[in-house]
Amino acid sequence: MSTDTTTPATPDDVVAIFRRVLQREDVAPDSDFFQLGGDSLIATRVLSAVARAHGVELTFDEFLLAPTPDGLAQRITAAR
Amino acid sequence: MSNSRGTLQVAPDLSDVFSEIARRYPRRPAIVQQGHALSYGRLHELANALATRLGDDPGTVAVPAAHSPETVVALLGVLAAGGAYCPVDPAFPAPRQEAMTTAAGSRTAVATGTPLAPQLGLGSVELPAPSELLGAPPGTLPARRAGTGPERPAYILFTSGSTGQPKSVVTPRRAVSAAVHSLRELFGLTPDDRVLQFASLNWDTCFEEILPALTTGATLVLDPDAHRGSFPRFLRMVERERITVLDLPTAFWHELVLHLAEDRLTLPGCVRLLVIGGEAAAPARLADWSALDTGRIRLVNTYGCTETTLITHAVDLSGPGAPGRSWDGTTRAPIGRALPHVVEHISEQGELMIGGPAVALGYLGLPEATAARFVTVDGERRFRTGDRVRRAPDGVLTHEGRLDGEVKVRGIRVDPAEVEAHLTAHPDVTAAAVTAATLAGRSALVAYVVPRPHATTAALGAELLAHLRERVPGHLVPSRVTVVPRLVFTPSGKVDRAGCHRRYATPHDQVGGDLR
Repeated sequence: MSTDTTTPATPDDVVAIFRRVLQREDVAPDSDFFQLGGDSLIATRVLSAVARAHGVELTFDEFLLAPTPDGLAQRITAAR
Repeated sequence: MSNSRGTLQVAPDLSDVFSEIARRYPRRPAIVQQGHALSYGRLHELANALATRLGDDPGTVAVPAAHSPETVVALLGVLAAGGAYCPVDPAFPAPRQEAMTTAAGSRTAVATGTPLAPQLGLGSVELPAPSELLGAPPGTLPARRAGTGPERPAYILFTSGSTGQPKSVVTPRRAVSAAVHSLRELFGLTPDDRVLQFASLNWDTCFEEILPALTTGATLVLDPDAHRGSFPRFLRMVERERITVLDLPTAFWHELVLHLAEDRLTLPGCVRLLVIGGEAAAPARLADWSALDTGRIRLVNTYGCTETTLITHAVDLSGPGAPGRSWDGTTRAPIGRALPHVVEHISEQGELMIGGPAVALGYLGLPEATAARFVTVDGERRFRTGDRVRRAPDGVLTHEGRLDGEVKVRGIRVDPAEVEAHLTAHPDVTAAAVTAATLAGRSALVAYVVPRPHATTAALGAELLAHLRERVPGHLVPSRVTVVPRLVFTPSGKVDRAGCHRRYATPHDQVGGDLR
């Protein structure tokens, strides 16, 4: 996966990351990562995937404030 | 029954070793946090000033546990006074904090920047502010305080208990002193080492980081980037802070290895020792680690129970201490051989039992639970670990499973009955089964609950998660609650926790797949 610093993050990008990390398909743009069984440990996989794909290094605390694909995509775009 | 007996010398008391080191290296940095250093001389002054305020033999002292130098000062001050350190996470739900301080019999709390729940009703002793004592000579404490005898409690920590109430383990000073003595040797620490403080201050793993370092003259490094969940930041912090020793929960190390392998990275060149422990090291991650440029780093696997004090067994898995070892992704990692202070026995059933100075005093106020796990054989007190092990001719043990229902989730021992007790306390639940499962490649707690007839079940799972979050710490909250019509029972009529998971787990839970 290459670092892409020009295309904004879409909720669908983050939905795909959630599906891969949580290994479940029932992820919607407004699904809460922690309600889907996510925890601080595998949140690191989401943050690593975001750093690789979008060149943005978010923290766990930022993720806690925006734990949905919609919210996280906004954070990624705002941080670029 | 087989056993191995190490050379059992009485290790000098930990507080005395710290004082000696602080006098030897008064100007060396003891604790560093974001560029601010607290020297050994100042740390010694602050700890002794707190000890003086606490008075002789203060009993069990509750300390708000946070990743801050204040918590370390409080730990050393409580030990210097001859008290028992009892860490309480200020983020825990207030009822849990209350259950903990009540079970620990604590009357006093140290007041730091992050206060405990006010309803605990504990007497409060202010931590001396660094500015208050600037340049004061290190306070001299009476040579022998009542609480510093080898059998007196050093700390009180909590493990999971089947009744739903926390079970407090009382660890005496001789156990901590002996274990820390062995760990300084195992880690090969020198005053030039810089040890990252990573573990939560609530669990005994943090003592593996703090106490060997501060009784050697090494530097303990605290940094918020250790806990931010971003591996790029973590790795930059390790390099910036010139960390030489990392002690990481195995579950976190698994994630770190996944990250390193994806980007073909290694750890910064300053790291010489990486200690892991808490759960089995995954063979696939060991193979990933070996395939990276990690040959110069000692990777040490460790094993121990709260009741047997920090680490009792260790082995080099990779690096300069493990020449010729290779990991192909199929071999299970051993848990190690007994450290010098540990007396090890393996029962005919294969259960590992620990004797010697590492064994704790027992569970506070729970004589029956204590008698069930702390037994006397041939005049020697031993702790039954509940772990089945196999010993190779070279003394290295391999873990073969549990003899009881306890599970380990992300390095923390959990009695499923404790979580079940909290779930069935909810008015809409008649029965519950809790077990550990592998979800998305990491260990997680899963719960299966049977609703009361006519209960509204649509939102019951979410409702129960909220119910638990108000009452228990995060490690006791399942990753998933599934509402089911009935539990699965064994032929003898007992709840079959694993059977519930097999019957009701969703199909994609069974899929392994690529974790990245």
